[in-house]
Amino acid sequence: MKVSFVSSQAISKALQYQTQKMTSDLTKAQKEVQTLRVADVGLALGARAGISASLHREVSRLSGLIDTNQLAGSRLDSTQVALKDLTELSNELMAALTTAASDVGDSRIIQNQAESVLSAMTAILNTNLNGEYIFAGINTDVKPFNDFLDPNSPNRQAFETALANFSASNPMTGAEMETFLDSIEPMFTGTNWDAWSKATDEEITSRITLTETAKTSVSANITAIKELAKAAATVAALSQASLTGEARQVLLERALASTGVAVSEFAKQQGYVGVTQKRIEEANERMNMQIDLFELSINDLEGIDPYEASTKVTGLMTQLEISYSLTARMQQMSLLKYLS
Amino acid sequence: MSLSTALNIAQNSLLNSQRQTTVVSKNIANAYNENYSRRTSIVSSLAPGNRIAEVRRATDEALFRQNLNALSGWTAQSTIVNGLDRLNLAVNGVDNATSPATLLGKMQEAIQLYSSTPSNRTLGENAIEAARSLVRSLNDGTSQIQKFRAEMDSQIALGVAELNTLLAQFQKVNDEIKLATTSGREALDAYDQRDELLSRIAELVPISTITRANNDMMIVTADGMTLFESTPRSIQFTATPIFASDTVGSQILVDGVPLSPGNGANTNAGGTLAAMLQLRDDYAGGLQAQLDEVARGLILAFSEEDPNTPGSFSAGLFVSVDPSVDLTTADRKTGLAGKIAINPDVDPIKLRDGINYDINPGLPAERHANFTGLLNKFSTAMDAHQTFVGADGSSYEMSLMNYSTGAISWLEDARKNADYGAETKSALLVRTAEALSNVTNVNVDEEMALMLELEQSYAASAKLLQMIDEMLETLLSVVR
Repeated sequence: MKVSFVSSQAISKALQYQTQKMTSDLTKAQKEVQTLRVADVGLALGARAGISASLHREVSRLSGLIDTNQLAGSRLDSTQVALKDLTELSNELMAALTTAASDVGDSRIIQNQAESVLSAMTAILNTNLNGEYIFAGINTDVKPFNDFLDPNSPNRQAFETALANFSASNPMTGAEMETFLDSIEPMFTGTNWDAWSKATDEEITSRITLTETAKTSVSANITAIKELAKAAATVAALSQASLTGEARQVLLERALASTGVAVSEFAKQQGYVGVTQKRIEEANERMNMQIDLFELSINDLEGIDPYEASTKVTGLMTQLEISYSLTARMQQMSLLKYLS
Repeated sequence: MSLSTALNIAQNSLLNSQRQTTVVSKNIANAYNENYSRRTSIVSSLAPGNRIAEVRRATDEALFRQNLNALSGWTAQSTIVNGLDRLNLAVNGVDNATSPATLLGKMQEAIQLYSSTPSNRTLGENAIEAARSLVRSLNDGTSQIQKFRAEMDSQIALGVAELNTLLAQFQKVNDEIKLATTSGREALDAYDQRDELLSRIAELVPISTITRANNDMMIVTADGMTLFESTPRSIQFTATPIFASDTVGSQILVDGVPLSPGNGANTNAGGTLAAMLQLRDDYAGGLQAQLDEVARGLILAFSEEDPNTPGSFSAGLFVSVDPSVDLTTADRKTGLAGKIAINPDVDPIKLRDGINYDINPGLPAERHANFTGLLNKFSTAMDAHQTFVGADGSSYEMSLMNYSTGAISWLEDARKNADYGAETKSALLVRTAEALSNVTNVNVDEEMALMLELEQSYAASAKLLQMIDEMLETLLSVVR
């Protein structure tokens, strides 16, 4: 009786099976060395494969957000520069108004100054970036600010109509000037402002992080611009009319008050924009950190140790070689060779 | 007359050696035939001299049965592994590149980019293109899944036909064995054939066997349904040529009783038939259910409401081409992933301002080019919680984005478990096959050694004959 019996088939099958298994392991390990990722992510992660897919997605989404934040950022940068220029304009106008109010002088100087403020602010407010008018609110397709110096523009015409319809003695007295200025107030603060500006009150809202949105533009309808426009327009249009000294004083004082409001409002607005710029900058920083973290997690999930992987390949190759030589030698091992 | 007895015995011995050599040569001829069981010649002593009583097959009932079980388990598991791989590749693509989850992410990015500069038409076109490729992924996924189901169904039909043929062959062989046993004939080759047929049947369905009088064999499935008793039982299956999402594939009826499909990724199924039923119904069906839910979530996230009737619903960017689908209820709409389409009215402006209700605040005077309200709402809606129905039929509160990655997890989890199962089951099969082979197959070296013995014995017997002949000669020459 045999103690243990081994069939010839079992011997060759065992070798065959081992070699097959090692070869398939080797192809996997080879792929891992080349890509530095596990050969089949889904198979390796199982139920966690969804996490890896969503991490990849988040990384790409965050990178997209950082890109679009650049766009909002450059818009805010231009806005900030424009606001600074507008503040300077207001300051110059204020200086000129103060000088004009203190001595009688030539009224043309102050008129010229007011006109140059109007043309400069029109140019600034109609700044265009990437095909968008940055002060237009969300109506970015349309040039927002109408040029008061153009006699055909609606704001100029509305003003001239109001002036023509106002019955005043010649020259205009101080009290009449007060009444007139009060009567044109709605042209700047009320709904008639649309003769000046086509911008919307609503400003551009951008998503700056996955969950956070921010206002990333300034509209031409803010108080500062309205006040500056009022001061410059009244001075430009009225300072050459026939006025009593008192009326002229009223005009200049009212303009000075408006310019003062404009200066402080511009400062406030610059502050808001600065805060948003800071928010975007911080959001980008935060998102960059998130991307780094996510990529680290992706690497934890899918990555492999390159040293371990290449050791595995070397080990498997050695093993396979041994298995091959073993197969060859075992095939030679047969009683048949010794029978003649 | 002892000299003639010696002659007889020597003759008998020669005959024995010849017969044993036949057995040895047959063993050697079948050394590498898996289905061959080694023959042993049993020599018994009888007066006068030895004679071969019988030739036996080396068998081991228990090992053979174990091997059949392992074979059923492994074929089922490898069917599941291959099927899941194919489904995964067809629907999710390499590295999930074409999965709805990935394309949803791409689309959300495109919407985000568009919302940063809504006046830019090109970015709007880009967002619509992203939506289009998402729809394509859902439509293609659906058609791939249904094609897969139809293919499984036709393979099941082939498998059932093969099983019927095998059982018919089994009847012939079984009858031959019965007849041989009753008439006392030797039918060892028929036994080999019967074992081979059993292995092939076990690849299709898990079986166990009962041996009765006259070596008559009865086959029952693991569930206890009779496949063969004296005659084969009928196994019926009606193939469905074309599958739609709501098509229910037919069952396999064994003797009128339905064969139960396998359960779990590390499947409890035996044989390819139960595994293919499981792939056709559970996995392909489950994947389809999840695609349908992604499609429904998508239509909902991009739906619009009448500004005058808050809470009203009308499909926006994504619509169902079948208008009869009621999208207002939160349950699975079977086959919706195949019916989802891009609203034909959409263009970048309408995507921004609304397709059904133009809600651009600048109207009626002029459109505000940087209106982002709707775009931001879409992007938020994709991350907002909705009620979804999972592959198992229960409801979940989660966002569209999370649900879509959950679908990847669901399939990959199944693949991982199936792969693990395949590894353990193939190891078991290799072990049992090796053990069985060691008991029943041939070792060439041993047969060669046996042949040497036989050669010796033959030479000795021949020599003996010669000796006796000489002795008889001597005796006769004395007489002469």
